[in-house]
Amino acid sequence: MDVRSQISMVFHLDKCIGCHTCSIACKNIWTDRTGADYMWWNNVETKPGTGYPTAWEDQKKYNGGWEVNGDKLELKSTGKRRTITNIFHHPHQPSMDDYYEPWTYDYQNLFNAPEGPDQPTAKPISMVTGEYIDIEAGPNWDDDLGGSPVYAENDPNLEGLTAEQREQLNAVERLVFFYFPRICNHCLNPGCVAACPSGALYKRGEDGIVLVDQNRCRAWRSCIAACPYKKVFYNWNTGKSEKCILCFPRLETGQAPACFHSCVGRIRYLGVLLYDAEQIESVAKRPNEELIDAHRDMILDPFDPAVIDAAMRNGIHESVIDSAQKSPVYKYVKTWKIALPPHIEFRTLPMLFYVPPMSPVMASREGSTVDHVSENLFHDIDDSRVPIQFLANLFGAGHEAKVRYALRKQKAVRWYRRSVTVGDVPMEVAMRMLAEADCTVEEAESIYKLTSLCTFDDRFVIPPAHREEAIQMLEDPMEHKQSVGFGFLSKPRRGM
Amino acid sequence: MMSKSNPEQHSNPAGRPTEPSRRSRRLLQSLLVAAMLFAFQVSANAQEAPQYFRQNCMSCHTIGGGRLTGPDLKDVSQRKDRVWLARFMLDPKGMIASGDPYAAQLQQEARGVVMPTVSGMSKERADALLDLIEAESKLEKSQFIGLQIPDGPFSEADIALGRDIFLGRARLKNGGPSCVGCHTAIGLPGLGGGRLGPDLSKVFERLESRKTLGSWLLAPPTTTMQPVWRGHPLEAEEILPLVAYFEDVSRRGGEDTSPARLNFFLIGLAGTVAALVGFDLAWRKRFRAVRRPMVRAAALKRGQLR
Repeated sequence: MDVRSQISMVFHLDKCIGCHTCSIACKNIWTDRTGADYMWWNNVETKPGTGYPTAWEDQKKYNGGWEVNGDKLELKSTGKRRTITNIFHHPHQPSMDDYYEPWTYDYQNLFNAPEGPDQPTAKPISMVTGEYIDIEAGPNWDDDLGGSPVYAENDPNLEGLTAEQREQLNAVERLVFFYFPRICNHCLNPGCVAACPSGALYKRGEDGIVLVDQNRCRAWRSCIAACPYKKVFYNWNTGKSEKCILCFPRLETGQAPACFHSCVGRIRYLGVLLYDAEQIESVAKRPNEELIDAHRDMILDPFDPAVIDAAMRNGIHESVIDSAQKSPVYKYVKTWKIALPPHIEFRTLPMLFYVPPMSPVMASREGSTVDHVSENLFHDIDDSRVPIQFLANLFGAGHEAKVRYALRKQKAVRWYRRSVTVGDVPMEVAMRMLAEADCTVEEAESIYKLTSLCTFDDRFVIPPAHREEAIQMLEDPMEHKQSVGFGFLSKPRRGM
Repeated sequence: MMSKSNPEQHSNPAGRPTEPSRRSRRLLQSLLVAAMLFAFQVSANAQEAPQYFRQNCMSCHTIGGGRLTGPDLKDVSQRKDRVWLARFMLDPKGMIASGDPYAAQLQQEARGVVMPTVSGMSKERADALLDLIEAESKLEKSQFIGLQIPDGPFSEADIALGRDIFLGRARLKNGGPSCVGCHTAIGLPGLGGGRLGPDLSKVFERLESRKTLGSWLLAPPTTTMQPVWRGHPLEAEEILPLVAYFEDVSRRGGEDTSPARLNFFLIGLAGTVAALVGFDLAWRKRFRAVRRPMVRAAALKRGQLR
């Protein structure tokens, strides 16, 4: 057992209101620079939709992530041979148009326009060429189903849905969408780190944050192709790649990352997970249907004395273990099993988990009246407006069981709390639902508390960074002992 | 401890040979080597002289074959003393510049052509060459009489054979390369000849006589051609048709009207286009873009494409 600690995250999609405050907070702190202007380390996508960059989930096009060839785990986009043959041109780069051409507006025109019959407007100007442009796309171009005949219909997660299901996603009173905020997943098996020919990307030992060393980056851009989530970006001004740093300067001083801190819906949770690094490769090779369970199994119980012992031997500080025991992420992922990794079939083993969103049931129509209330309590999940298969493609590697389990438990908790606070649902029904959803009353209460009544400190359990110890992994603090201070500056010469 | 860094520690007179005996032995050795080298050099010069003459002198001089660019060297040592001749051979340009009247006269006779400084010329070599010239002058017919080409008109067959040799259709006996690889001339088919060497259309006019041209071909003296032809000299029966061909080309004259240059340009253009189309076909499935094709396909599906 090789125990390591990882700062992990849960995004509770049922709470996301799609306000993009997280994106703005991140942009203002980190990517408000020339060359980084098109980057959104944090972005919020509407599902169904193609997201940013366009259709990033479609690895048939982008070739991101890993695949199992025989008994070997290989990157789809590159390998030793292909790194050399494509060293001057990486063939799987998203084009600028797949992100968007960053623009600003000609605000001066509002003041300086000559007098005319119309109001002057601020025309858009490309921030790349400086010319006037017609804006064709933006980072959230398909926000709230904008342009859905093009974008929503081409969502790669619609694969496997029947024509009827696809049809009803556009139908009045059946149409539905939810929000999907994304940052770097700080994966356990990061494709970007594996692909870099310069060794510029690394996963920080003490907390698992994946970073790009700006001094070692040589602009090969292999990371951009290899990351299936397209969360590494190339800065065309500095000629270096950049990515989400999980606001490590804030974490190290005990503050939540900017996007977490600013989240209006309070959907974001952050905490430490302990995991067994020995299992990474074997887990990443498992067949699709076993991936979620295997991924969960490698996350270790921070209360288990054997785990604590192994963690201490690996140099993980007691305070970090203490923090792992209080981690809200551990509860969502491991204890309650209602948070799922996004697209685990890319096999990078993401450490950002999503609680899948509930959605209204499909309305039934009787004559001219539309009825939203259903008699059938539980099985509504299958009648949800978002088809289960769609969520399964997103969070279950195409398999529905895990997603259905998470949704049933959430639904049971809702009905239980409704029975407690409103009282219009008989308690027996609520208890039956809890039992069927593999949930106890205590568990329902704690899910309810952490979901609805969570304080700042409940959501963000940030371990002390212990930079003073982390630095000891790389440098010996005793290195200069006896070489400074009083005494001879140079060795005395003998035999003179 | 102290003694370790003391240089005087190393001197030990008893265990070393004395300086004078050592030095004299060295001197003897080097003298011996120098003497052997010198002897070898002299004999080598004497042996090499005919070879050297053939390669470096024969393109301009004959011995008893009449004047080419330079004078006939038969009995040259009777016209001028050996010391002067050796000096001239070593540095022709310097002698002319020094205002020597005989040297100036020689230049005039050669219509202003200055004898080049021959590479590898040394005092010993000059002596050996003069010995050789003296010896050859006494003979009835020297081996360096040069190429004797009849004055009458060449036959059509000679011209045709010369053209074949030039184009490389007729194989050279000693395995030399064909002229067309580096040279061109007016009236060649296809893409014309090579452009590395000069255009040979007017070479006959430039060298002015069959004899000069023939001798030149016997041992081409330029820095580019000499190393190529040294091991594969042209035979006399190959030179004759070549001279015939060059004379013919030169006499016809005219402008270069062959379409070779245009053809070359057009073939280059077509080749470039073909290569680019080939690349595009080979990599037609490469990753280009996602969003624009997607938008276009959606518009096409709905028949909205303008």
